[in-house]
This record gives sequence, structure tokens and C-alpha cells, in this order.
Amino acid sequence: MKISLSLLWTAFAIVIGFIVLLGYFVELPAVETLGQLLMRWAVLLAAVALLLGLWNLLLVHGRKLSQLEEGWPFSAVLALMLVVTFALSTFFGPDNQTAMYIFEHVQVPVEASLMALLAVSLVVAGFRVVARRGDVFSLLFVGTALIVLLGSGPWPLGGESFAQEAVQWIRNELVQVWAVGGARAILIGVTLGAITTGLRVLLGADRPYGE
Amino acid sequence: MDFLAFLVLLLIVVLVVGLPLMLRRTRVEMRSIEGYEVLSKAMERAVEAGERVHMSLGVGTLMGAESATALAGISTFSKVAEATAIGDKPPVMTAGDGVLTLLAADNLRSAYARAGYSHRYETSSARMLGPTPLSYVGALPSVLGGEHVSLHILSGSFGAEAGLAADMGERAGATVIAGTEDVRAQALFYATADYPLLGEEVFAGGAYLGLRGTHRASLIAQDVLRLLIILVVIVGSFLGLVGSLL
Repeated sequence: MKISLSLLWTAFAIVIGFIVLLGYFVELPAVETLGQLLMRWAVLLAAVALLLGLWNLLLVHGRKLSQLEEGWPFSAVLALMLVVTFALSTFFGPDNQTAMYIFEHVQVPVEASLMALLAVSLVVAGFRVVARRGDVFSLLFVGTALIVLLGSGPWPLGGESFAQEAVQWIRNELVQVWAVGGARAILIGVTLGAITTGLRVLLGADRPYGE
Repeated sequence: MDFLAFLVLLLIVVLVVGLPLMLRRTRVEMRSIEGYEVLSKAMERAVEAGERVHMSLGVGTLMGAESATALAGISTFSKVAEATAIGDKPPVMTAGDGVLTLLAADNLRSAYARAGYSHRYETSSARMLGPTPLSYVGALPSVLGGEHVSLHILSGSFGAEAGLAADMGERAGATVIAGTEDVRAQALFYATADYPLLGEEVFAGGAYLGLRGTHRASLIAQDVLRLLIILVVIVGSFLGLVGSLL
């Protein structure tokens, strides 16, 4: 019974997937309409899944709180704020003044601080990558990053000098020729990988919806 | 009807379906990818030492262009979960999307059932950490630091926050294996992860962790198509050069 149910889900997923895919290749109004309808359903289901995800978040932190696990005060703040902002946005709309105030004065500064932290982390990681791997590629990676940084901003001394112009020229060559070529090559590989992964799901070889 | 796109798709389907049948009795040598070689050993080590494996499916959704990376991540995660189900501490999967969290939970349950440890499945092993990229990354230390994670696998969609996500694993003392589809995030992983997966390597997890023949076939299909594309680019560039000279 379990096997037949699994086969049923697989057949269902394959048929739905092929109908949506067909809509991209064949200009048949019936197929296109059906594909769009299925996509709209998928968006609705994704919204419901987001609510379930938030419930999962609340449950995990609720458990930490009830068992006073390490870092429980953070869980308490998270759970409280989640309930407050969810209630505010549900009852008074997502753009009400209090919800916007919380967003602008709590979430935006915290996220901006994390982005600032990223800059520091990357500088440290740049040095660490040379120490850890110590090969030609890591040296090339860090050297290229330094040249691009030097060529991107103004210099405190020696502005408009020959050295600055030379660095800017090298930076432009690296960014506009070498980096673009390399990125395109990587993107071709990624695209092929994405297509074959999608096809494996469509053919029922991969079953991310469980077995 | 877009015939060229349809033909390319048909060619890939033929390769993915036909190659496993053709190569049934042929031993296919795959090039070594350090990240996946380390992954197998690190999983064994985590199980033996009673430490936890954390796998991140990233901050993307299943609805966008990044869905393929998430699907590849789920296939890798399923294998990782099966291999580490026997450990004292169950593996933890986190995502920034509700759909991915549900899928991961379902895959985790299936993996435990396949390994014969259904009773050890915990619903809290699949978690949504935060619905935005930075809220997700902001919540990562609570998992990495507080739950004795020794292996931090990032296989999903990431943006600029990729650097922080990998760096947090490094700071927690975990082995970091990371791959994504975004080129900029790959550069960040190169600097911050112990074992970065570059380009299409993130899609090869299934083949390297010993899943079905179609995974190996899809790798070969990718290589065949890549060679064709390289050939088209070289011939096209040469013809363009000749055309401009004439």
C-alpha cells in the first residue's frame, strides 16, 4: 500500500510538472491556462508553507524556552517579537505605523550591522584562505581582490598618478574581461546542472516530496 | 514553439534516461571533488564522536530560479541524513523557506525509515530559521554554537550573506563544505569555507554520495552538453573572426 501511494505521488508530480513545462514550449491556450492555474496554486501553497515554517520556528524556540536551554533569553525575545509583529500585521495591516516602526528601527539596523560584519569577516577570511590553503590559486584570489579594491576607490595619496591609472586599467580588464568570461563559464555549468536536476525530478528519479 | 530549446531538452532527457542503460556494465570514473570526499569521512567522524551534522538549504525558495539548487541540496541532505541517522545526535536541517523546511522534514523522516530508525525522528530536526536572508544567517549561531555541530554543509541558494553563513561554521569549529548556484556567493564561499563546491559541483552531491544511476548519467550528460557548447562557442568565434576579415 505504501509503495503504491509513493508511486501515486510520483505520477502526480510528473504529470503536473510536464503540464507546466509544456506551457513553455507549446502555444496552446488550454495548456497555458492550466499551467498558470497550477502555478497560482503553488504560490498559495507556498504561502501556507511559510505559515507552517513560522509555526515550526515558534515551536523550536518555545521548546528551548520551556527547557531553559542555552541561549533561552534570545529565544524568548524572538518568540515575543514574532507574536507581536505577526498580530500587528494581521490585525492592522503590514504597513501600519507600529509595524513599520519596528521594521525600520529594529530589523533594518540589525540587518545593516550584519552586512557591515560581512565586510570584516571577508577581510579576515581573505588572510585565512592564504594561510589555510597556501596554494597559487588562493594567492591569485586574494591578489585579484586587492587589485580590484585598489582600482575601485579613490586613493588618499597619489591620486591621478600613473600607478593609480595602471591599477584602474588592470582592475577594468579583470572585472570586464576575465571575471565576465569566468562567470559565464561557471553559469553554463550551473545551468546544465540545474536542468538535469529538474529533469531528474520530472522523470521521478529524484523524489524531494518524500517516499 | 521554441524548437531549439525543445531539442536541447529532448537531448538531455535521452542522455539522462539512456546513459544509465548503456553504462550498466561500464565502470564510470568520476573526477575527484575534495568537498564530497571529505564529506563522507566527516559524516563518519561525526557519528563516531557523537557530534551533530548541520545542513543548510539556503535562503532561496522552491518557486524561483534557484529551486534546482534547493532540490539538489535536498537529494544530498537525504543521503547525509540516512548515513548519520545512527548517531547520538540527529542531523539538523535549516532553511529560510517554509516549503523547503516541509520537504526537508519529509525527507528526513523517509531517510530515518530507510535506515531503520523511524523512532529517532524528531520534528524539530528540520527548522525554518528566518524568512529573510539576514534573519536566517543571524539565527545560525544558535544552531552551530549551541548544538555541538562538527560538520556544517551549505547546499542551496545564497547571496551576499553566504560569507557570514560559512564563516560562522568556521568560528564554531565545524568543517565547512559549501556550494551554491550564485557566482558571487561562490566567490565568498571560496574565501570562507574549508571545502568550497564551485560551479555545477553543488549539483553532483547525489552522484558522489552513491545515489541512483541517473545521478551519474546526469553528470555525464552535463559533460557532453558542455563539450558541445564549447565547440559551438569556438566554431562561432572562429567563423565570426573569418567573417570580419573577409
